[in-house]
Amino acid sequence: MADTTELQIRDGSPADLAEAAELKATRSGSRASWREFAAAVIIVGFATLIALALRPYLAATNLAMVYLLGVVAVATRCNRPASVMASFLSVAAFDFFCVPPYLTLQVSEYEYLITFAGMLVVALVISAQTSRIRAQAARAVERESRTQALYRLSRRLSTKTRVFDTALAAAEVAEEVFGAPVTIFLPEEGRISFRKRTSDQLLISTAEEKIAQQVFDRGRKAGKGMENFPEAAATYVPLKGAGRMVGVLAILPGTHGQALHDDQHHLLDLFANQTALAIERTQSQNAAADARMQMETEEMRSSLLSAVSHDLRTPLASITGAASTLRSQGEKLELAVREELLESISEEALRLSRLVGNLLDMTRLESGMELRRDLYPLEEIVGAALQRMEPQLAGREVTATVPEDLPLVNVDDVLLGQVLVNLLENAAKYSPPGSAIEIAATATPAAVQLEVRDHGRGFAEGEEKRLFEKFYRGKSEGVRGAGLGLAICRAIVMAHRGTIEALHRDGGGAIFRIRLPLDGRPL
Amino acid sequence: MKPFVLLIEDDPQIRRFLRAALAAEDYQFHEAFTAEEGIAQAAARQPDLVLLDLGLPDRDGLEVIRGIRQWSQMPIVVLSARGQEKDKIAALDLGADDYVAKPFAVGELLARIRAALRRSARLATDGADTVIRFGDVQADFEKRSITVRGEEVHLTPNEFKLLQVLIKHAGRVVTQRQLLNEVWGPQHTEQSQYLRVYVAQLRRKLERDPARPRHLQTEPGVGYRLSLDHTDADS
Repeated sequence: MADTTELQIRDGSPADLAEAAELKATRSGSRASWREFAAAVIIVGFATLIALALRPYLAATNLAMVYLLGVVAVATRCNRPASVMASFLSVAAFDFFCVPPYLTLQVSEYEYLITFAGMLVVALVISAQTSRIRAQAARAVERESRTQALYRLSRRLSTKTRVFDTALAAAEVAEEVFGAPVTIFLPEEGRISFRKRTSDQLLISTAEEKIAQQVFDRGRKAGKGMENFPEAAATYVPLKGAGRMVGVLAILPGTHGQALHDDQHHLLDLFANQTALAIERTQSQNAAADARMQMETEEMRSSLLSAVSHDLRTPLASITGAASTLRSQGEKLELAVREELLESISEEALRLSRLVGNLLDMTRLESGMELRRDLYPLEEIVGAALQRMEPQLAGREVTATVPEDLPLVNVDDVLLGQVLVNLLENAAKYSPPGSAIEIAATATPAAVQLEVRDHGRGFAEGEEKRLFEKFYRGKSEGVRGAGLGLAICRAIVMAHRGTIEALHRDGGGAIFRIRLPLDGRPL
Repeated sequence: MKPFVLLIEDDPQIRRFLRAALAAEDYQFHEAFTAEEGIAQAAARQPDLVLLDLGLPDRDGLEVIRGIRQWSQMPIVVLSARGQEKDKIAALDLGADDYVAKPFAVGELLARIRAALRRSARLATDGADTVIRFGDVQADFEKRSITVRGEEVHLTPNEFKLLQVLIKHAGRVVTQRQLLNEVWGPQHTEQSQYLRVYVAQLRRKLERDPARPRHLQTEPGVGYRLSLDHTDADS
C-alpha cells in the first residue's frame, strides 16, 4: 500500500485522481440517492406541467424538447442513475401526456416510436455527458483542495528547523485538513515513544502502543479501517522517509465519529509521505549543523589553547622576571627602577586576573549560563560599571546620559554591567589618555539603546563583525589583549535577545551600540 | 590600644602578604587555617575583627559566620572570589559586615577593615550621631531634615527610612534583602524592584549626577553601599 502511495506521488497520476472522484460520486450517490431520485421525479413532473400548458399550441414532437430540457436540468443536478431514470421517465411521460391518445401509453401513429427512440437516445447521451462533466468538475475541486492542503503542509514544514517542530506543524495541518485529532509519534532509540508525541492530551491509550510500534517496524498502515487491528481507536500511518522510518502518524475518528473516506485515506498517505521527507530533511540538516559545531568547537579549542598559553605566559614571564630581578639584584638597583619593576608586577598580575576572569566568563556563558534577570534602572547599572572602572578612567572626561524616564530594563545586572565594563575598558585601551568617553542611553517603543563612544582611532573598515569574534584582535598596534572582551559582550547581549554592533564615529572613534528588547522578544 | 584581628585563611601565600600588611598597619593578629580552628579562636581570643576566607579546607566559611554570630556581633570581613555574588549575599545575610573580592589591592582591604572597626566602635559607645554629613548632603535625624548644598530637600517617608538604614550601615554593603526587611518589613523581602526605584529616586535628590553616584553606590548583584568619605573632586 505504502509503495503504491509513493508511485502516486511521483507521477501525480490523473487516473488515480479520477478514480478518487468516481469513488466520491458513488459514495455520495448511495447516501443521498433517494433525494436525487425525488428531485428527478419532480423535475420531470414540472416539465410535464409545462408540456401540458403548451400542448394546445405546439406539435407533439416539439413538446419532446421540453422534456429534454428537463433531462438536462436533472443531469446537471443529480447523479447518473437519477438522470438515466429521468430519461426513461420523460419518454414515458411524453407518451402518456403528449402523444394522442392522451393518458395511455398507447400510440396512435407508429412514427412516434421513432420520436421516442430519438428522445431516449438524446436524453441518455445528455445525462451521460453531463455527469461526466460533473465528475470532472468534482475531480478538479478535489485536486485543488488536495493541492492546497499539501501546499499548506509543505509551506509550514519548510520553516521548521527542529524535528519536533516539524512533526508538530504537520500534525496541526493534518488536524485542520482532516477535521480529526492527529498525533505524530517520534521514535526514541528505535522504538516508538509515547513520550515523544506532538499532542499533550492522552487521546490514544498507551495500550495501542503495540500497534504503533508494529506500524513503525513493518512500515504498513494499521488500526481502524485497516486489515490489521481494525478494532483500534486510531488509524496508524507509517512516516517513511527515503532512507528509514521516522515516526508514526495516528489519526482518530473526527469529532462526529465518522471514519475517513477512501480518498481522504489517499490524501493522508500523501501527507504522511511529505511529513516523513520533511522530518528526514530536518534530521539531516541538524546532523550537518552538529558536525559543523563540533568542528568549530575543536577549532576553538585549539585557538583557545594557543591564545591562552601565549596570554598567560607573557604576564607570568614579566612577573617572574621582575620579581627575580628584585630578589637577586634589588640592592644594586636604583629606587626608581625598583618602583618600576614593582609596578610591572602588579600591573601584569591584574592583567592576568582579568584574562582569567574573561576566560571563566566566556566558558560560563558558552555552557549556557542562566540569566538572573530582573527589572533594573539602566542608570544604576551604568553607575556601577563606571564606579568599577574608575581607576582606569582617571583623567578622562566621562559623561553618562541616561534619561530619567527611561523604562526599566529586564536584565541580569551583573552580566550587563560586565558588558559595560568591557566596552569601557576597550574604549580606554583604544583611545588616547585623557580623551573623552560618552555613554548615552535612549529608548524606542520596543527597545532600550545604549551607546559607548570614544575618540580613539576606531577600527578598520570591514572589521565591524569580526571584532566580536573570539580571539580576534583589532588591527591597532601596541595594544595587548586576548580578544575576548567583545566576544563576551556579544554572548551576554545575545543571551538577553538583544543586539550589539560596532559603528564608525564621524570625526574618528568607535561607537558600540547595544539594543535590548523591552518585552523580551528578540529584536 | 592596637586592634586585634583574627585571620582565618588556609592559603599560605595569601596569609603571608596579609601578615605583612597587617603588621605594617600596627594591627595585632592571630592566624587560623581551618573553619574549626577559626571558630574556636574567635571564642577564645575575642578579636576586634575577623578576616575570613570563604574557601576553607574543612568546612564552608559561611558556617564560621553562623557560628560566631550565635554569640557575638564582632565585625567580620569576608574574602571571596570574584563573580560569586551568591556567596557574598549569603555571607552578608548571615551577618558578615563586608567583603573584598579576590584579587584585591591591600589598600582596599585595609579601608574596609578600618570602616568595620569604626562602625563597631560607634555601636559600642552607642553614640549614633544625629547629624551626618556626606558630600553635599547633611542629614539631621533628630529634626528629620535633609539638606543638599544648604537647601532643604523633601524625602518621602520611605526614602527617609531607606536613607536612615543606609546611614546606619554606612561604609558597608547592605544586601537588597536586608534593606527591604528593614525599610518595608520582612514580608516584602522579595520585592527588590521597589528598592531599586526608591534608590534611583534618592540618588536624583541627593547626588549631583545620579548616573555616576559618589555616595549611594551599587554593588551589582549584591546590594548597596553608602559611602560617607567620598569627597567630590570639585568641591
